[in-house]
Amino acid sequence: MELRINQKAYQVDADADTPLLWVIRDDLGLTGTKYGCGLAQCGACSVLVDGNVVRSCVTPVAGVVGREITTIEAIEADDVGKRVVAAWVEHQVAQCGYCQSGQVMAATALLKHNPAPSDAQIEAAMVNLCRCGTYNAIRTAVHDLAKQESA
Amino acid sequence: MSNRRFARTAGWLALACLVAAGLLAWYATRQPASPFAQEQAASVDPSQVSRGEYVARLSDCVACHSLAGKAPFAGGLEMATPLGTIHATNITPDHDTGIGAYSLADFDRAVRHGVAPGGRRLYPAMPYPSYAKLSDDDIRALYTFFMHGVQPAKQPNIPSDIPWPLNLRWPIALWNGVFAPTATYAAKPSQDALWNRGAYIVQGPGHCGSCHTPRGLAFNEKALDESGAPFLAGALLDGWYAPSLRQDHNTGLARWSEPQIVQFLKTGRNLHAVVYGSMAEAFNNSTQFMQDEDLAAIARYLKSLPGDPRRDGTPWQYVNADTHQDIPGAHTYATRCASCHGLDGKGQPEWMPPLAGATSALAKENASAINITLNGSQRIITAGVPDAYRMPAFREQLSDEEIAQVLSYVRSTWGNHGDAVDAKAVGKLRGHTDPASSSPIILQMR
Ligand code: FES
Ligand code: FES
Repeated sequence: MELRINQKAYQVDADADTPLLWVIRDDLGLTGTKYGCGLAQCGACSVLVDGNVVRSCVTPVAGVVGREITTIEAIEADDVGKRVVAAWVEHQVAQCGYCQSGQVMAATALLKHNPAPSDAQIEAAMVNLCRCGTYNAIRTAVHDLAKQESA
Repeated sequence: MSNRRFARTAGWLALACLVAAGLLAWYATRQPASPFAQEQAASVDPSQVSRGEYVARLSDCVACHSLAGKAPFAGGLEMATPLGTIHATNITPDHDTGIGAYSLADFDRAVRHGVAPGGRRLYPAMPYPSYAKLSDDDIRALYTFFMHGVQPAKQPNIPSDIPWPLNLRWPIALWNGVFAPTATYAAKPSQDALWNRGAYIVQGPGHCGSCHTPRGLAFNEKALDESGAPFLAGALLDGWYAPSLRQDHNTGLARWSEPQIVQFLKTGRNLHAVVYGSMAEAFNNSTQFMQDEDLAAIARYLKSLPGDPRRDGTPWQYVNADTHQDIPGAHTYATRCASCHGLDGKGQPEWMPPLAGATSALAKENASAINITLNGSQRIITAGVPDAYRMPAFREQLSDEEIAQVLSYVRSTWGNHGDAVDAKAVGKLRGHTDPASSSPIILQMR
């Protein structure tokens, strides 16, 4: 089957129910997307599919054929994604960094749908887990981005 | 009244009581007739063993009579009755603790009539009102399998904790007289062989009605075949809602084709749904092992059972929904549920089931929706391979209020029209299904 990832076409040979995460990391070597729980609970594996954030560990690969997939490797090609990464750098959000590609995806998807989210909306959308506890830094960065927009 | 007359009347009365008591005692411990009563043990035909093993799969004996990690069929599953707890028994051919001493006729009386050797009545947690329909050939094969295909295991049965006098078994004989049929399945000449085979499996060995047919006050299934409208019309038990298997548009199988029913029973999933709750066990232990022709027969039979629009409500139709509503239920849905079930509620068939049009989102009973959100689904094991995807438990992550909000959102979006879910109902089921609580739900039926 053919997948479109980061504006590029990839031929992959996988069972229909293989999780997209396995294909991205193991078959295509795009290892910026991380494996945390495999159960849709942590968000480390988040990618964008047609601009929506999805957890690739629970996405059967057959379901995303013909759709536009974006991983962390290409997030800066997106205007919103680029601003998010910049804010992440400015606020030095990452500690170990393991969860951060997923966090950036979640923030990007949020701001694409809602450029100026309220505090409650940010709270509700940014639910990925971070073992290092960088939640405060994440919140500051997203609030900063939301403020830039509403200002 | 003179003293003498009084004494005479009292004497007659006492005699009548005695006769009645005698009759009752006879009735309540009577050995039902078995066609095998005169039969001598024959030599074992190995093809009968494998045939019997298949009948045991159809009948899902293992679901109650085995515990994970213990010897197969050695019993032990704890089940609740209205009176107290009982435990499934050892049905391995062990002589002392199992059924090794049973003759074919003894076995027949237990399976089809609920009577153990000596006349002791079994509790109808054993679905003998359904197994009564089993054919003589299937009973014989089943017996051969249990005697020669199962390893004997020495494991004493656990006595029930039902207190005296409720633990007296003779009233069950009266219950049987009213509620338990005694005849084997009789083919309907007006229907073809496929339909009749399906009816046989569904009503008999498959005992689908044990979960899917609502029960009456005496805990009896309200109907045991298609002649009764409540048959397989959906029922609430064990903290799950077993949906209708009739042609109900919302809560039944009206939207499922025959091949889709076959696929569901064979692989555990189809475009409409994935097995969960108690059905996951029925799938893991029983339906996936059924032969394709038998599954086709079940599908044919189920598709012949009419629905009831009065019970089922307005037929569901998909409605587009604003996927970024600013309400708590929608937020939780977007972050916790949408990865698998989709912002559009359409899921990722047949791997992740749609919630748009799902029975759990349309049924009046919301137990299944709450239970699976709190506790997740069991692993589905098809042909020995565990599936890649499974509903996780949200018990630790979402409060009663949050679960009520997100379920109310699901049940009122994409054309779904189930009632809103109340946080109290979530709290109640959370308590009942907490493995650490002192009053966990105990299984009632399988
Ligand atoms: S790895 Fe996918 S959500 Fe945790
Ligand atoms: S930065 Fe280490 S897990 Fe989030």
